[in-house]
Amino acid sequence: MRSPPLILVVDDEPAIRRLICRALELNGYATCEAGEAAEALGRINGDPPDLVLLDLGLPDRDGMELLPRLRERGAAVLVLTARDESAEKVAALDSGADDYVTKPFDTDELLARVRTCLRHRQAAFGGTDRVALGDVVIDLDLRRVSRGAEEIHLTPKEYDLLAELARHAGRLLTHAHLLRAVWGPAHQDDIEYLRVIVRALRRKLEPNPAAPTLIRNEPGVGYRLELPVP
Amino acid sequence: MAAARMNSAEPVSRLLKRHPFKSAAATGGGRWTDYLWSALFVIVLTAFGRAVEPWIGYRSIDLFYLIPVILAATLFGLRPGIATGIASGLAYNFFFLPPHYKFIVHDPQDLITATVLVLVAVVTSQLAGRVRAQAQAGEQSAQESAAIAGFVSKLSSLPDAPETAGAICAEVSRMFDVEAILLSPDGDCLCVAASAPRAGELAPDDRAAADRAFHGADPAGCGTAALPTSEWRFWPLKGSLGTLAVLGVRRPATSEPIPPARMRMFGEIVDRATRAYERLKVEEEARHLAALRERDRLRTSLLSSIGHDLRTPLTAVKAAAEALVPDSENEELVSTIRSEAARLSRFFDDLIDLSRIEAGALALKLEAIDLTDAVAAALEDLRLTLKGCTVEVDVPANLPLVRTDPNLLHHILINLLDNAAKFGAGTPEIVLRGEYTDSGVRLSVLDRGPGLPAGQEGIVFDRFARLEGSDRTGGTGLGLAIVKGFAEAMGLSVEAANRPDGPGASFSVVFPPSSLISPEAAG
Repeated sequence: MRSPPLILVVDDEPAIRRLICRALELNGYATCEAGEAAEALGRINGDPPDLVLLDLGLPDRDGMELLPRLRERGAAVLVLTARDESAEKVAALDSGADDYVTKPFDTDELLARVRTCLRHRQAAFGGTDRVALGDVVIDLDLRRVSRGAEEIHLTPKEYDLLAELARHAGRLLTHAHLLRAVWGPAHQDDIEYLRVIVRALRRKLEPNPAAPTLIRNEPGVGYRLELPVP
Repeated sequence: MAAARMNSAEPVSRLLKRHPFKSAAATGGGRWTDYLWSALFVIVLTAFGRAVEPWIGYRSIDLFYLIPVILAATLFGLRPGIATGIASGLAYNFFFLPPHYKFIVHDPQDLITATVLVLVAVVTSQLAGRVRAQAQAGEQSAQESAAIAGFVSKLSSLPDAPETAGAICAEVSRMFDVEAILLSPDGDCLCVAASAPRAGELAPDDRAAADRAFHGADPAGCGTAALPTSEWRFWPLKGSLGTLAVLGVRRPATSEPIPPARMRMFGEIVDRATRAYERLKVEEEARHLAALRERDRLRTSLLSSIGHDLRTPLTAVKAAAEALVPDSENEELVSTIRSEAARLSRFFDDLIDLSRIEAGALALKLEAIDLTDAVAAALEDLRLTLKGCTVEVDVPANLPLVRTDPNLLHHILINLLDNAAKFGAGTPEIVLRGEYTDSGVRLSVLDRGPGLPAGQEGIVFDRFARLEGSDRTGGTGLGLAIVKGFAEAMGLSVEAANRPDGPGASFSVVFPPSSLISPEAAG
């Protein structure tokens, strides 16, 4: 990743594009912009950015079609979407988007998501085997989860789920993605399984299982493992 | 048609002109002209017989007399035929059998000749009559079929009910030479849709008969067992879609407005009229459906245009307001822009939610939900609004899962929390409580506001509810209505009450036992 990170803003509204770019630049990012899918593809092929902010409603092509191409080029993707489009969010995440932000968004929220996406991308490049969530450490190599010196005992399903979340820490994973990864494709609609294991994990990991801070749910979309802000 | 004319009072001379021999034969009676013609046949044949007798002898002449007999019987019917047979027998006897010019029969064979001539007349006239009747029936049925076909084609080209009713009355009146009236239901009562010739208001008796016909399956009114005092007889136009109208028919001074001979055709006409009405009804329903579909499409596109097109400029406004760096001079203005943009955005959300409820456009996607997740997500989304509030979450992590729509539940919680955050000066205290009760799982949001005025707990969920003596302002007045609309769409119930422990209100969503999933059952 270059420094400062380069962010491509793809939105058909020039006003929104400018405002997002300005907010990003004020926070020390380099930006470039595109108003159409074709233009965005051109930018990607030339000098791939580290992160793409992608509005799905583009005039020339459905933004969803761009997702695989963007992933191929190694860019993290943050989708900008309308509220209440759970299906669209899930589809975008399953096509490789890292996260989404709902319009109209708060600038602070957008910046927070941008930071998470970039961190996640860095972590992915680093190929880290250890994920630290406050005092809880997940060692993906040794399949070990510990708090301080004390090991936390997890059932195989609990560990598999936590490991899948940890491998993509900070990234929103859809319910179907997690169910496929842990239970297999036949169970990708059995959300109850997921709820029960998440409950058990929270009981073992969260300081207060009734007010979770580590494993967060996005209603109707999926789960994310929150990385503590460094 | 011919049959109709014969039964009506058409002058005989006109009939004769059109069918010189036919009309009387059909009745079998015979007029004086028929007998005159028959006599003429016999005279001519006798003269001819006399002329050829010298060559062939009188014994063969009797055969010749078959000619006038068959002619008369065929053309004029039974009685002129028999008369001709008798006349022929007498003429043969008188002119040809010895002794000439006397009515004396010597030979029994001659008696047989006369008898045979009469018998031939009888048989021939019967056969001819039958053939004629068949031909006539065929012609009549062809004419009726043509009339019905004309009726059908006339009805099929009419665009609406009034014109169809008018055409039915006009055609029935013309074809059956009666007064016709058609009544169709309009709301609760039966109204005159058309009449021909134009009839005035129906008398009470007639109305009652029309009603009877409409609600029953049989004709009612004059000449029937049901309300015979009416001047009209009404037939229900009853098809597979129920009774669509009644057709009334009247002919002054008779209790049989349609002659029995024409009932078959009349029945056919009633049947076709019924089908015309059925077609209209089906077409009307199709039009209605198309209009509904179009309205739905417009509403959906309006919703999505509000959702996308109006939000875009709002996003820009919000982002621009946040990008502004306030200085001491314009700090208040900037903060006004920011907070009002946020309010506008919430107002849009409320309006869209409400129109989705009204349009019945809530597509539910049910899934198992952990209330811990639902509460945490709502608190996370509202963290800016709730800044400065103390929120106590008392939702045990071991409650059953609930099967419901995650997005709608999310909006319910956001609206309830947003509502609660408006109350309590200084730092509002909000409690989120989940409990397992006999009636299911109850999730409540409790505030420390002034509570609800006594007796008004029920209406607080109404749209734009402004409660007396309360200071519930600042919102759109739609939030709780949306809570109720969403909850009911998912089969959940909502409750509002005052807190038992001191001031404040409590708003609850109750998940019935049927929506609960016990965690042990899964995974």
